[in-house]
Amino acid sequence: MHHWQRSKRKSAGEGPWAWLAAGSVATSLALLALLLGLLAVRGLGHFWPADVALVTLDDGRQLAGRAVKEAPLPGREARERLYRDGNRDVDGDIWEWVALERIQDIAHPEDLVVLERRRWGEFIGRLVAIETASGERFSGDAAWPALKERLAVVEDGRRQIAQLREETIQPLVRRVEAGQASAEDRAALASAQSQVNARQAALPDDTLVLESVGGRSLRQPLTDVVRALQPNAMGPVDKLATWGQGVWRFLSEGPRAANTAGGVWPAIFGTVLMVVLMSIFVMPFGVLAAVYLNEVAHQGRLIRWVRIGVRNLAGVPSIVYGVFGLGVFVYGIGGHLDDWFFASRLPSPTFGTGGLLWASLTLALLTLPVVIVATEEGLARIPESQREGALALGATRTEMLWRVVLPMAMPAMLTGVILAVARAAGEVAPLMLVGVAKMAPQVPLDGEFPFLHLDRKFMHLGYHIFDAAFRSGDVQAAMPLIYATALLLVVVILVLNLTAIFLRHYLRGRHGTLPH
Amino acid sequence: MDITSDIHSQHISRQFNHELEELKTHLMAMGGLVEKQVQDAVNSLLDADSSLAERVVDNDRAVNDMQIKIDDECTRVLARRQPAASDLRLVLAVIRAASDLERIGDEASKIARNAIELIENDSGSRGFVEVRIISEHVRRMMRDSLTSFARFDTDLALQIVEEDQKVDSEYQSAMRSLMTFMMEDARSISPVLGIMWILRALERVGDHANNLAEYVVYLVKGLDIRHTNPDDLDEEVGDR
Amino acid sequence: MTVMQHTPSTSGALIDFSAHASSLEVRDFALRYGDKPALSNLTLRVPRHRVTAFIGPSGCGKSTLLRALNRLHDLNESVSREGSIHLEGQDIHAPEMMVAELRRRVGMVFQVPNPFPMSIYDNVAFGLRLQGRMPKRRVDDVVEWALRSAALWDEVKDRLRASAWSLSGGQQQRLVIARTLAVGPEVLLLDEPASALDPISSLKVEELIRNLKSTLTLVLVTHNMQQAARVSDYTAFLQDGELVEYGPTDTLFTNPRLARTENYITGRMA
Repeated sequence: MHHWQRSKRKSAGEGPWAWLAAGSVATSLALLALLLGLLAVRGLGHFWPADVALVTLDDGRQLAGRAVKEAPLPGREARERLYRDGNRDVDGDIWEWVALERIQDIAHPEDLVVLERRRWGEFIGRLVAIETASGERFSGDAAWPALKERLAVVEDGRRQIAQLREETIQPLVRRVEAGQASAEDRAALASAQSQVNARQAALPDDTLVLESVGGRSLRQPLTDVVRALQPNAMGPVDKLATWGQGVWRFLSEGPRAANTAGGVWPAIFGTVLMVVLMSIFVMPFGVLAAVYLNEVAHQGRLIRWVRIGVRNLAGVPSIVYGVFGLGVFVYGIGGHLDDWFFASRLPSPTFGTGGLLWASLTLALLTLPVVIVATEEGLARIPESQREGALALGATRTEMLWRVVLPMAMPAMLTGVILAVARAAGEVAPLMLVGVAKMAPQVPLDGEFPFLHLDRKFMHLGYHIFDAAFRSGDVQAAMPLIYATALLLVVVILVLNLTAIFLRHYLRGRHGTLPH
Repeated sequence: MDITSDIHSQHISRQFNHELEELKTHLMAMGGLVEKQVQDAVNSLLDADSSLAERVVDNDRAVNDMQIKIDDECTRVLARRQPAASDLRLVLAVIRAASDLERIGDEASKIARNAIELIENDSGSRGFVEVRIISEHVRRMMRDSLTSFARFDTDLALQIVEEDQKVDSEYQSAMRSLMTFMMEDARSISPVLGIMWILRALERVGDHANNLAEYVVYLVKGLDIRHTNPDDLDEEVGDR
Repeated sequence: MTVMQHTPSTSGALIDFSAHASSLEVRDFALRYGDKPALSNLTLRVPRHRVTAFIGPSGCGKSTLLRALNRLHDLNESVSREGSIHLEGQDIHAPEMMVAELRRRVGMVFQVPNPFPMSIYDNVAFGLRLQGRMPKRRVDDVVEWALRSAALWDEVKDRLRASAWSLSGGQQQRLVIARTLAVGPEVLLLDEPASALDPISSLKVEELIRNLKSTLTLVLVTHNMQQAARVSDYTAFLQDGELVEYGPTDTLFTNPRLARTENYITGRMA
């Protein structure tokens, strides 16, 4: 009791400042939680196969779809609800506003199907029948199992074609483009091309007979269907499995429909690869610069000015670095490289256009001050006694630096890289100038020599968000994907940072902390 | 380097100054008491005052107590202050001086006990002249040695060393004349022996006073002259 | 009879070391930081295989002198010097004297234990590995020998791969001494080696210093006069960058020649 009173008095004695400070922390944490929560709910919710409502209006008209939001009707005490009912090809639009007062009935019949298609977006309605090329027809209850079975065959064939394209055809095409293809290559290309054509032809040329709840019917080739679901007939376990599958496809597939659908794998890969390359470029430069400033240079007025300059570089807007990268790296250095080494391909540029290398270098430049400052602070924290200890054992200054000072400054360097990664992974503006692409389905790392293609354009999560949000026709439709991609961007940065933090922790833990 | 008597009050630690001052004060108090003991013992004989002699014997316990007290204080200073240089020499000199003073106290009570015996046997005043002469010398030596200790006066201390040689020769001649008494008159053997014991004790007091003077030289100059030939002393000490 | 007393002399440089030749010799040495003089007109000889202590108030230049003995001041561009220092007769500032070589011959241990953030073994092997590759067997031997010499082997032989920073302060300081010994120095400079340690660890380091003097010349800087009195054979008292008094420790601590020394070692106000 007594103890409790004392501790209470103590915290009260710290006065309003303690509360103010704690309040600031709490607010920051709450904002962070809100941000992550919003992104997670909106982004991950997109993949959940929610039930489809069959809405009957007072005039007898029916529509099937999922409620997206509600809003008050202007000028009246009434609300209307927005349904996403798909069927762009049938209705010309995937949205439908419905005044709540007009709704007579909402049902969830199990026979409603949701088809994800390569064109025209979702179809929501009923499956009437499936007709095969050979004239067979499954209708009624037999239609749905037949659809699942045929779809599996189509998916399998599609996967084989994609594999052929990626592993055989594309490298050959690039070689042809680069003018290095031999006669054998050309023959191989032709045979691969014909194989693809054969497989394409072998896909079941089935047709689905569909009917919207509004009564319009539609004939849909099976080859355009990506996924077919009957969400109202699914139990929670099925839904969860479908959700997991949806998330996995989002992470592992390339984008479709002008970046408003499909996955973001190339963008994830591009982001991570670019950040890793950036770290590899910025580390040695930053560390060497910090070592020079802190260990080698005479600590005079000049060095003070240089230090101020470096610190101020961190404040230069990133788009300025983009312009610099475009001018110096892409047009300057890249242009000359093309002149000297890739003249045969001109006028199509190799390094004279934006690409992975230039983007990484631009970001390395952008984050260089951060790494220098962090490393310098780490170097300054190393006690003088450690340096003297090494010198007193007969080490030269270089040996002292390599064997004692730099290993001890390693955690600080990693702190610099963490800060650099955090900044670089989120930058979009400079990348738009020096190499990011709206659509680059080929990741810049593959099995073809030289494996890492520094000249290729690449996709980036940040730019992907920007593109989906501002360049796509239907922002409302792309919205869930934008949330999901934003969440992914945050997660990628988090993972990169955590990796560096764990590495730093390991390095620190190996020999304990500094004794001072 | 020579040190002066105020050197022990210049420490940064005032407590240390105080402790060292206490040491010196207590040593001087002990010296005063012992000096009075010697004087009283001699006077009790010369004035045939046996009650005074009894008091001298009783007071010896007070002298012993003072020595123990001073030793304790020195031990404490050594343990807690780890004195160096002049401070270390002061503590060592005080320990040794207290020990010598205690022995002088013992000699005083020895004189007093012999005096009681001589008074009780009413053995006349034979030998009293010698006792008076030597005791005068010895008391002056004691007084001077304590003064030289108090003032860190090595010149005075060196004089005591010379004085001790005189006392020794006085003692030798007194012995010879008392031997003559005993040979002349066999009845006087017992009282004269008592006087001889007293003279012997006085001579010892002189030796102890001489030791005190040597400690002063050690304290001030850092020289240990205990086993130095007195004739070389001036030369040795003067060098410093 | 002669007086039991060391013959006094008028200058520290002239002290009779006939029993042992000098290892280090400082001649008319002066050192300044920029315009600020730190040491002036110093001349003294450090006897071989003995412990010599430098004592004096803070800022008296004793550490500066110690660091001058293995040219640690070279790093500081504002330091200028006059006079010379000789190691076994060789001028340590001579152009043919490599500074790394000098520092191997004249090792140094600092006030705060400064083991490197490596294993115990790697710390001791650090100096050896600077001298080029050598067989692991030989490195093992030297590490064991050095740790034994520093009286640390029994405490760490089962955890040579553990971090040096896991050792206690006293063990760290002995590890640092072992690390220095492994390079095979002739002279060991100790800059307040026990001032950051508890009394027991401090005594262990002192005991080590005493044991090492059979093979090494040791120079010790300390604030702790009792420590100087306990471990050193010769003591030099410095004040305001000057050598005030230099002589056998026994004499200096019982009967110093000069009042400045007396005042310092007995804690009096000057």
